[in-house]
Order: sequence, then structure tokens, then C-alpha cells
Amino acid sequence: MDKFWVITKEVYKKNVKSIGFLIMVLAPVLVAVVGIAVGYFISEDQKNAEPAPIAVISESSTIQEMLSQENEMYDVQDDIVTENAAEEALLDESIDGYLIISENAGVIKAEAVHTDSLTNVLPVLNEQLSNYQTLLRAGELNLSQEQVMSLSEPVMIEESIVNIEDGNLNEEENTDTFVQEFGAYFVSIAIFGFIMSYASIIAEEVASEKGTRIMEIILSSATATNHFFGKLAGVMLVLMTQITFYLIIGGAAYFIAKDMSFLQELTAGIDIWSVIQGLMGYTIVFFITGVLMYIILAAFLGSLASKMEDVNKAVTPIVFLALIGFYVGMFAFAAPENIVPVIFSYIPIFTPFVMPFRIASETVDTLGIWLSIFGTIAFTALLTYLSLIFYRANVLIYSDGGIIKSMKRSWGVLKSNRNAKKMNVNE
Amino acid sequence: MLEANNLRKNFGDVTAVDGISFKIDKGEIMGLIGQNGAGKTTTFRMILDLLTPDQGEVLWKGKRLTNKVFNQVGYLPEERGLYPKVSIEDQILYFAQLRGKSKKEIKPLIDDWLEKFDVKGKKGDKVKTLSKGNQQKVQLITTLIHQPELIILDEPFSGLDPVNAELLESGIKEAQANGASIIFSSHNMNNVEELCDSLIMLRDGNQILNGTVKEIREKFGRTKLFLESPLSLDELKQFPGVQSAVVNREGISVLQLSNAENGKAIFDAATAEGYIPTFSQQPPTLEEIFKRMVGEKNG
Repeated sequence: MDKFWVITKEVYKKNVKSIGFLIMVLAPVLVAVVGIAVGYFISEDQKNAEPAPIAVISESSTIQEMLSQENEMYDVQDDIVTENAAEEALLDESIDGYLIISENAGVIKAEAVHTDSLTNVLPVLNEQLSNYQTLLRAGELNLSQEQVMSLSEPVMIEESIVNIEDGNLNEEENTDTFVQEFGAYFVSIAIFGFIMSYASIIAEEVASEKGTRIMEIILSSATATNHFFGKLAGVMLVLMTQITFYLIIGGAAYFIAKDMSFLQELTAGIDIWSVIQGLMGYTIVFFITGVLMYIILAAFLGSLASKMEDVNKAVTPIVFLALIGFYVGMFAFAAPENIVPVIFSYIPIFTPFVMPFRIASETVDTLGIWLSIFGTIAFTALLTYLSLIFYRANVLIYSDGGIIKSMKRSWGVLKSNRNAKKMNVNE
Repeated sequence: MLEANNLRKNFGDVTAVDGISFKIDKGEIMGLIGQNGAGKTTTFRMILDLLTPDQGEVLWKGKRLTNKVFNQVGYLPEERGLYPKVSIEDQILYFAQLRGKSKKEIKPLIDDWLEKFDVKGKKGDKVKTLSKGNQQKVQLITTLIHQPELIILDEPFSGLDPVNAELLESGIKEAQANGASIIFSSHNMNNVEELCDSLIMLRDGNQILNGTVKEIREKFGRTKLFLESPLSLDELKQFPGVQSAVVNREGISVLQLSNAENGKAIFDAATAEGYIPTFSQQPPTLEEIFKRMVGEKNG
């Protein structure tokens, strides 16, 4: 047990102190900061945007007056009253465009000449003119204000979102689904990201010790079991350090920024706490088993590589598996009841990517969820057991013939040792 | 202390080691010689319980050697390995901790050991900044600093210049004086002759020689004769049993006899007129024996 901790500590210290770790931890923060900054500047820019200068040429003073009222979108230049003047102003870019509006027996006609920058403003002008036309016609028909109101009253739709379960319609809370889907999406990306980083970290740990023959010294000092679990624990601690760092940064950022108006706009309608709750529970179980499963697999594959240069080749299967899982997960996001995601959600190596989406879309019952959780845990345990058995033989095998050949030779050593042990017992 | 009884290991159809037995007492050094692929590393791995022998057993102090005695072992693998990005001190401490020592015990010893092996570099330096020879010496320190009782050195002298080889020799002798049982493999027969109390020679996994250096050499008979006398080379060649005769650079005649008994007649003839400065009848050197044994297989 002592040696387990010696190894764990060494792995942890070596990795946390490395520049690679610093970059790995800070890169996502940097991306997030840049993203938020860009969002901030865009929103500030929109806020500070000056109303677009336009000219309105109309014989109707009512229309002139109506449009000249101060607003955020446009600013009518009262001094431009002829088409020629407007055209000149447009030419020297003192206005973004002009409208020529005529009114004849309740029919309003408008012609707009403008640059691109006025495109967003036109619908607003259109609506205002339409409203005015409605008023004009109402006047012609002698309608009262109430009558006009009742004519233009929109239809209210009261919605209730349901899902179908056991032939019953069950109402579901809209926000819940959103939060859960967000959680599933987040977990998928997080598992994928962490697997990509940490699978190669642990595979390199193992392969480099094997390549430099440090492994022989270590295995004559501590048991293979201690070494294997020490490495795993060390790498998991590094991962936890990274997550803790994000939690602290995230928490601090939240409390500092929660009063900033722009962030409030950004997160309007999202209850941060319910998002966090959504991430707890099943999601966290899938996250932990998912990462653990792939890291154990990576350690095993790393022990098959003969030297550092072979690590990338050795972890290729992990990249493929994770990619498949990730894409089926995305597919499940869109079509949770399709047969492919349903099957994949019960294959342990893919479960962590797919099942959260099925849970979020409520297309799986509690029994199914627990079955899949049990499946992944059992599979992880089996994987650990097998990796450990092979590990001891793997680390003594040096082969140039690739993974499959290494595994064959490793199996040979394993069999030879097992037979020898049996014979020794029988003696 | 360390005892191997009839060790045997197969990998599939290949027999890597076939029936090796030896015994190393406390404070004794044993050499393991043999060509590449003769089964030396497999033997070491069986001793270290990294491989399970198909047959036979390894005993340490009378009990089967298992991972429980790992703390008493110092092992230098054939291909050296250290963590390139770790400092000398941390490297030594880590391996010592893996051998059950605490940092507190080892830290005060590091300076002395670095000095003893004349390592060029500060203990805070990263391993990769050291020259190959200095890295090798750091590795030796990690093998010895925890005062192991069983020391296994796979080709410890390879790549060391004569000065460093001497430092290593004195390191090994010091461990021997402290009562360690030591086993090492080497291609350099001079090291083996100088250091070993006993040796075994492997060929294709078989143990073809076993005993003390003197015993093994004597077994081949004193068939080599160094002679300075009035007798000419042609006269010497006429004696019965003289297989070859040459004069070496120092002007000494070197004769290869087919039988040690043949020396007597030559001695009588050479000393017929009285004093001669050299008459030395020797068994073959280990190197000659090694070459002869390897040649036998190839021939």
C-alpha cells in the first residue's frame, strides 16, 4: 500500500508540474474568456449603435411626424424634404437611405432606396406604416378604438408538452428537458475532451517507463498491481485537480459576473442551479465511469507499446471508440428513439456518451438506466481485471510488430507463467 | 543466501533457460557470462520473480523469493532507464522509496554517493542534462543506495571508461564488504576475473561451466606456457605436445600445449644450463575459455 502511494504521488507531481498540464488546463479557460469577451463586445456594440440616419419624403405630414418620433433604430433627418436632396445625402453618406411615401385613399405606398446597413431597420418601418394603414382604414369604416383592438388581437396558444409512456400522456416540464439535454451534451463533450487528453497521458506514462526499462526496476520493487493502480490513481488525481480548478474559476466568475447586465441577458431564462442539479445524478455517474473505463483501456494499450513513439499508434483504438460514441451520442440527441442509439446505449463502452441523451429525452425507463449503469460498472471492473492480468506480461514484451503481435506474445508469456505456477503448486 | 535450483523456462517451443543451478553466499560475488541470447536476462527475471520458472525454484535465505523481499533487492537492468525530466535527487529518492526507504533516510546520503561515484552535476540537475556515463552512475547509485542485500547487475560495466569502471568495481566491493550477495553479467572477462568469487557460463540456456574462477581455469589444465630461455622457437616446436609457439612483443615465447605434463620436458631442457628469467605454465584465461566454448558450438 505504501508503494502504491509512492507511485501515485510521483505520477501526480510529475504531471501537475509539467507545462503540458498548465496548457491543457488553461486552454479551455482561455477559449471561454475569448468567447465571452467577443460576446460582450458585440452586445456593447449593438447597445451603443447610433440610430441610422434616414430621410422621409412624404406629402403626408402625419406620416412625417409619426416617423420623426425619436427611437433607437433610425433618425429621420427633417431637413431633407426632396428626392434630389435625399439622393445627394445618400451619395455623400450622411444618410443610410430614404423613403418616398405616398398615401392615397387609405393605401400607403412606399419606396425605399438604401444601403445594406438599413436592412435591419426596414421591417420596423414596415410595421409602423402597416399599423398606420390599419388605423386609416378603420377610420374609413368608422370603427371604434375597441373594434380596432379586437380585430388585431392575436390568438393565445396555451401549450403543454407531453411525452408518451405506457399509453399515457404525461405532462413534462419544459425547462427540465432543456437542462437535461444541456447536461447530456456537456457530459458528452467533457468525457470526450478528458479522454483525449488523459488517455494519452496515462499511455505515455506506461509506455515511457517500459521504453526506458524503468519498468523492470519498478516491477522488481513493487508489484504490478501496485504500479497499475498507482498510475491510475495518480492520473485520476491530476484530472480531479483540473476539474477542481474549473469549479473554482467557474464559481468565482459566476459570483463576480452575476450582476453584470450583459451576462444576465446571456443567461436569461436559464436557472444556473437547475443546470447544476441536472449535471448531478446519473450524468455524473456516466462521466466518472466513462472516463475511468477509457483511462484503464489506455493504460492497458500503453503497456503494449514498446516505446514512446508507438503510443499514438497504441491509443488509436481509443480515439476511434470515443469518436463513435460521441457521434452516436449526437445522433441520440436528434433521434433518441432510433434503434442505433438505443442499442449503443447498452454497449458499456458507448453508454456514457449515449445514455445521458436518452435520459434527457425521457425515452428510457428507470430500469433501463440502472441496467446500463450496472453494465458499465461491471464492464469497467472486468476491464480492470483483464488489463491487470495482461499488464504484468505486457510490460516485459518488446516487439516491433505492432499491438496484435505484442498481445500474442504477451499471451504466450502469460500462459507460460500460469502453467508454471500450476505445475509448481502440483509439485 | 541466494540459491537457484535447476531453473528452466520455455517460451512456446523455445527453451530460454534449461537447468541452471547456483548458490551465492552472503558477501559473495557471482559472475554470469554468456553470449547475447544465452539466457542471462531470463535468468535474472526469474530470480526477480518477474517470470515464473517452468521448473525449479529460487530461494532467498532458504525461502522462495517473492515480492515480499523486494526491498532487499538492488537491480540494474541491462538497458538503463531514468526519467529524463526529473532531477537527480528526486530520481534517487523515488527509487529508494519504492524500495521501502523514507526520504528522510536517503536524503542525507545523496551527496556522499554522488561524490563517491564522481558524478559531474548538481543534485538539482535534470537527468537529461547529464552525459551518458554520468546517467549510468546515477543509475548505479539508485541500485545501491538503499543498501540491498541482493544485488543484480545486468552488464554494469558496459559503456564505462576504465576510470569509471574502477569506481564501479570499488562500489561493488564495498557492497560485498557490507555482506551483500551480488550477481552480475558481463562481456568483459577482466572484470569477472577480478571481482567474482564464482561464475557460471551459459550457452543457449544451458549452464556449461560452474565454479570459482580458479577451479574453472584449472579444469582446462595449465596448457599455456610463457618462456624466456636459450631455446629457439624452432627448437621448442620440436617438443612433443607443442601445438603452437610464437614470440610475443616482449620477446617471450608463448606455447600452447596439448597437455600440462608436456611442460616438464621443456622445463628440463630450458634450465639445463641453469637460471632462466621466465617459466610460467598457466591455465587459459577466462577470455580464452569463453571464446573456446563459444567456438565449440559454432565449430
